[in-house]
Amino acid sequence: MATLEFKLPDIGEGVTEGEMVQWLVKAGDSVNQDQPLAEVMTDKATVEIPSPTKGTVKELKVKPGDVIKVGATMLVIETGGAGATAVPAKEAPKTTAPAPQAAKTAASTPATKSAPPSNGSNGHNDVYPPVAASHVLASPGTRRLARESGVDINNLKGSGPIGRVTRDDVAKGGGGGLETHSSGTPTKAPGMSIPRAPYQGPQGAVEERVPMRGIRRKIAEKMQLSKHIIPHFSLVDEANVTSLVALREGLKVKAEKSGVKVTYLPFLMKAMIATMREFPKFNASIDDAAEEIVYKKYFNLGFAADTDNGLVVPVIKNADQKSILEISREIVELSGKARANKLAPDDMKGGTISITNIGSIGGAFATPIINHPEVAILGMYKITDRLFLEKDGKVGSVKVMNLSITADHRLIDGAEAARFLKAFIERLENPGVLMLDLV
Amino acid sequence: MLNYDVCVIGSGPGGYVAAIRSAQLGLKTCVIEREKLGGVCLNVGCIPSKAMITASHFYHRLGHDAETMGIKVGKVSLDMGTLVEWKQSVCDRMSNGVNQLLKGNSADIIFGDATFESKTVLVVKSKEKTEKIQAKSFVIATGSRPIEIPGFKFDEKTVMSSTGALDLKELPKKLAVIGGGYIGLEIAGYLSKLGTEVTVLEANKDVLFGSADKECVQVVVRKIKKQGVKILTEAKAKSFVKKGSGVEVTVEVGGKEEKIEADKILVTVGRKPNSDEMNLKGIGLELDERGFIKVNPKRQTNLPGIYAIGDIAGQPMLAHKASHEGVLVAEVIAGKNRAYDVKTVPAVIFTDPEIASAGMTEDECKAKGFTDLKIAKFPFAANGRAVSMMETDGFIKMIANAKNNLVLGVHIVGPEASNLISEAALAIEMGATLEDIALTIHPHPTLGEAMMEGAEATLGHAIHIIQKPLRDRTPSALGI
Repeated sequence: MATLEFKLPDIGEGVTEGEMVQWLVKAGDSVNQDQPLAEVMTDKATVEIPSPTKGTVKELKVKPGDVIKVGATMLVIETGGAGATAVPAKEAPKTTAPAPQAAKTAASTPATKSAPPSNGSNGHNDVYPPVAASHVLASPGTRRLARESGVDINNLKGSGPIGRVTRDDVAKGGGGGLETHSSGTPTKAPGMSIPRAPYQGPQGAVEERVPMRGIRRKIAEKMQLSKHIIPHFSLVDEANVTSLVALREGLKVKAEKSGVKVTYLPFLMKAMIATMREFPKFNASIDDAAEEIVYKKYFNLGFAADTDNGLVVPVIKNADQKSILEISREIVELSGKARANKLAPDDMKGGTISITNIGSIGGAFATPIINHPEVAILGMYKITDRLFLEKDGKVGSVKVMNLSITADHRLIDGAEAARFLKAFIERLENPGVLMLDLV
Repeated sequence: MLNYDVCVIGSGPGGYVAAIRSAQLGLKTCVIEREKLGGVCLNVGCIPSKAMITASHFYHRLGHDAETMGIKVGKVSLDMGTLVEWKQSVCDRMSNGVNQLLKGNSADIIFGDATFESKTVLVVKSKEKTEKIQAKSFVIATGSRPIEIPGFKFDEKTVMSSTGALDLKELPKKLAVIGGGYIGLEIAGYLSKLGTEVTVLEANKDVLFGSADKECVQVVVRKIKKQGVKILTEAKAKSFVKKGSGVEVTVEVGGKEEKIEADKILVTVGRKPNSDEMNLKGIGLELDERGFIKVNPKRQTNLPGIYAIGDIAGQPMLAHKASHEGVLVAEVIAGKNRAYDVKTVPAVIFTDPEIASAGMTEDECKAKGFTDLKIAKFPFAANGRAVSMMETDGFIKMIANAKNNLVLGVHIVGPEASNLISEAALAIEMGATLEDIALTIHPHPTLGEAMMEGAEATLGHAIHIIQKPLRDRTPSALGI
């Protein structure tokens, strides 16, 4: 009789060991393929380990309470055939979003290789959604749909034949819902599983249906993704921008001579960059797949632009290395392209933080949505004249701008946002200070 | 300084596809090529070798099968000069096609040798001028080249790589082929059919070792030996000396030294990525231990804005994988969410008969933990079209998960295996079961029917072969 040494399989991202909770079989039991053998607890969840084969349990190698390393033998199973083998589990049981497959390098043979490549990656493996694991059944078109919808297909339970994931499963974000394993621990994955609710108007009501396409659909997807992933919070304050207004008025004429219209936006961008250097968390992203914070050493500032088609966010790349005049010129150029619907994908890519200027239209303040994977967005609002009680008791007049900072609470706490906004406002109120920040 | 959105380096089946797709997506694109458009594949690889293989097969059949079919052709002779010219016309036509496609899509073509001056600036030198190129995204698609072994330096006259062999103006009388991988066997096969006496020296215990299903390999070995090719396995080529107008190769076989005489030597022991060029290390690009550029599933390298695809970005080194990545990387650059997310890269070996595979071999299935498998073969000898073509060697072998009949691997050795395998690749990508293939009507009389029957055979009840004596002839006993 052949025996099989069954080893603890790789049961999830970053998991190297688990604690044996209880055996679900004992020596002498006959087991079927995929029958749960044991419950193992990791620092993430309790998982059931399925049998890789049909056979008879010969020996249990660990007891409840033992800590087992991934790759260590758990039990010995007697199978029908001849010879002895040692295999890891057929596939890792699902707990968390499946670990990115370890980079698998090429076979030694220089000739053709027909084996399915794990994911064709020999380097870092940091894409989201992750590529489909080998056991996932879905057509190439369905896999692409899942990727484009930001759905991790590894977390979907397929409703099709033999567990095939269908387009409907992706659309519903999981058909029968996100797959949960028997221990009942919810899956952690940030895969979007937002129900697509139908709408049915009252009978006879005059309504028009227009397909949700192009920029509108993209905006819907991006906003939903951002709101789904990011716990938002906002903080509002006001800045006395009297000196900034004077400064800009003074420079405006000069700039116009060189053919550039200078708005307040480039000044705010410069103040933002200086403040972000002080608070690097605001110029960062969260890599959910790797559970890492990515601090960016470059400053690409997006600004929300309103167009007939909807909202777009062109990006001023490396704004820290550009003068106010250069930034102004680029804003005019990008805004023009945005209105003409001529922005290239690259014009909107790579932003590290965004600014939304609602002041040009109106409103006291808003609660903007962060442009994921950025972690903060600054709102700037209308400048108004306000009466102001000066130190000597006289009534004066100042120019005031409302400002908001909206941040990703996973990374940035309220106090930190408050400090950021304070430091930012100090720069705006004393624009001369910006000279100190000049690189 | 020239400015581009996308600069693709290398115009092989990865690079030119990446350039065309980038241009289609409205990105300002250029492609750099140091030799001929189309790279190795179109000029000194896939395409010319297939032209030679087709011609040699035709020639061989005229001498062997024609008479059986009642066609008297008299003495058939070979004009190598015309053959080589025709082969070249095929390559030129393909290369011109690439030129037209690139131009038609407004991608610029720049000829010259490229080197990275920095992470953001590429210098391209040609005889006429030196140009600097700045691009928002670079795609490295510079491929691979034949590996040299100690003692056998390529001069492309006496010691040839595949490039030299494909460019032979005269047929060698005797050829020693070092390396019985797919490139070596393809060239050995066609040269032998044209009249060369070929000896293949393979260091492993079998030719095509590890690159194809063992039973498929056996069919090819049997036929190529019958055709006159000598195969020495577990044979290590040590050195060679010039002798007369030819050479004498010293080979170690089972501890003993043997001498083999030949006019020329072909070394086909594999290919290696061209990652030692272009100052890739100088700009800090990360390579793996085999010299492939490290990439993620989006084909991004460790340097922002630099991507790598094709042979230089890892195994399998196959043109169709490179082209798939070319499309993918262009769409990634254009802002689409794309990743290399495939179930299988089909592979084809143009021996006689051809071998083609998709999915896993039996060993690979077992290594993946699939212990309960259904495996069966359907022979081409039982297929009407194969018989009427006089090409009955070979079979289709299918491997499925016994639990749910999911198709895990398909291995074909036989006529047109290369054209038949796409159905298997689609089946595996779609997650098809044996029933899905068996219940799809395949037209008669075609080789494709063998695919349907292969699925039936794996389910245990093919029509055109007798699988086992049936005692219990009920549908449930047959699994129907």
